[in-house]
Amino acid sequence: MRGDGVHEIELTVNGVVRRAQVSPETTLLAALRDSWGLTGSKLGCDVGDCGACTVLVDGLSINSCLLLAVQANGRDVVTIEGLGGFEYLHPLQAAFERLSSYQCGFCAPGMIISAKALLDENPAPTELQIREALSGNLCRCTGYTKVIDAITEVCRDHAGAVGVEQSV
Amino acid sequence: MSRKITDEKKAEGQKLLAAAPVTHPPAVVPDSLPSVPALTPEVNKQTPAVGQRVARPDIRTHVTGTTRYIDDLSFPGMLHCKILRSAHAHARIISIDLSEAGNMPGVVATLTGDEVPVNSFGSTYKDQPVLAADRVRYRGDGVVAIAAETEQQALEALAGVKVEYEPLPAVFDPLEAMGPESPKIHRNNNVYTSKVIARGDVDRGFEESDHIFERRYTTQMIEHVPLEPFAAIALFEPDGQLHLYSTNGRITLGRADLARTLNVPMNRIRLTATIIGGNFGGKNEIRTEPILALLAKKTGRPVKAVYTREEEFIASTTRHPLVMDYKTGVAKDGRLLARAVHLVLDGGAYASWSETTVGKAAILAAGPYRIPNVRVEGHAVYTNKTVTGAMRGFGAPQVAFAYESQMDEIASSLGMDPLEIRMLNGFDEGSASHTGQTLQAVALKETLLMAAKRSGWQEVGR
Repeated sequence: MRGDGVHEIELTVNGVVRRAQVSPETTLLAALRDSWGLTGSKLGCDVGDCGACTVLVDGLSINSCLLLAVQANGRDVVTIEGLGGFEYLHPLQAAFERLSSYQCGFCAPGMIISAKALLDENPAPTELQIREALSGNLCRCTGYTKVIDAITEVCRDHAGAVGVEQSV
Repeated sequence: MSRKITDEKKAEGQKLLAAAPVTHPPAVVPDSLPSVPALTPEVNKQTPAVGQRVARPDIRTHVTGTTRYIDDLSFPGMLHCKILRSAHAHARIISIDLSEAGNMPGVVATLTGDEVPVNSFGSTYKDQPVLAADRVRYRGDGVVAIAAETEQQALEALAGVKVEYEPLPAVFDPLEAMGPESPKIHRNNNVYTSKVIARGDVDRGFEESDHIFERRYTTQMIEHVPLEPFAAIALFEPDGQLHLYSTNGRITLGRADLARTLNVPMNRIRLTATIIGGNFGGKNEIRTEPILALLAKKTGRPVKAVYTREEEFIASTTRHPLVMDYKTGVAKDGRLLARAVHLVLDGGAYASWSETTVGKAAILAAGPYRIPNVRVEGHAVYTNKTVTGAMRGFGAPQVAFAYESQMDEIASSLGMDPLEIRMLNGFDEGSASHTGQTLQAVALKETLLMAAKRSGWQEVGR
């Protein structure tokens, strides 16, 4: 910490080392959006209810509006920008696109990150496990059916790739 | 989160996702929508678009997190605005002291209601102040706006504002607000908009009925909770034109209201509606735009304000709570002969879209049923509560809850199947609505029968 209360942080975001000087109250979400221009993660409620700010920190899905930037110092962060871009979609993004799982899209980045966290941990989740993994992500337009369908499709279509048996 | 990911599991999952083929964009977005035959308007013909699967043109930017919502926009030198809201549900403002707040770190400008050229706006009645100047009528009323270098500084400066209030008696119950003893919120009468629909003679209808059913139904206030909070940015273009970016969903009305409050011609204002993160009716009028425009003018810099989630609840609009008194006269065979409905809409502190809502609620209040004698009376009433305005259906869901509940109660009391009583009374092709409109393409009974069939109603319904 510097004398004026500003902290210097350094962390890995989507494989790139990022540095910033932040005031103590700066959240990881604010650092991502304001310091590094990674605006894919959204501010919906600022109190950890809606999940629009969900990112991976050391592989776990967390609400980046509740984690201070200084707490993320030295950690490995993955945001929606780390999955795929307009030209090359991550399989989860492709499935969500195919099923048009979103209307306004504000919840999409957080929800896709939660889905990735789930599949990283459990490549063949049951529907109940998918619902549980998404329980921290709210959608107000579309509902969750197509989101669950999209994740189920990814598991089914890519299960053969690693020889995972499809759960019922 | 306490879940532990084993390295093995993680590697397995990552292998799965890595092994998945990288998907190249189908050569269709956004100019690859399925080719659909040209639509020629034909009465009573199904459009060929129905049943087609169409890719949303904006879905790819949604799934990649690249859709540009308003909070993803920023401009060089942009300031951040926060608004101090009323400490009381109803009070007179005695004084506002900005001497401390104005000198707090990062603060560039402040704004009070006295500085707004025309300090009133509204979708129907212009009864809502941009910033309350002499009186607050609910806790969501803004009193002082502060523009600072950072959002945090603006927020901290709010604590330095000193407002002296003289609290006034407040009313929170719409029925109480209608009474002569109630505190008055705007004028001598808190009832501010009404709608009456009359058809036939309900008194005679009730006399001819074998059974009379009476019941009060109530619904609660509901916030839209769009995931994206309301936000706006104001800046002046180099040629002096005011440019507003806003989550406002009704830009033409918004622009007219802005021109009025700022007292400038409409052609000096450009209002850009940004891609919206959910609206549902809660972003259908101006809120902070005039404040930001005036702060931008004062400072010569762009100014942005994003509602907190708390502000979204207390200082946006909500769905009207309704008190609905229903009286229905029924023949012994289940035919509806007369229905009298009295609706009271809790209008909150300002009118917003209440006129539209009371109208739609009244028009639909008797339900899609053939009733020869109908009388509906609806009133919207001021209370010292969060403003109620547009929300999906404008009053229709509330009355549907009431009339369908009563249909079930009538059926139950007469020993009829709920489906049977609806088939007996429901609108047919060519039925007249309660406001005298001849209805076309009425699929009510067809829909009911299909729903009954698919849900297995006959087996389990009763």
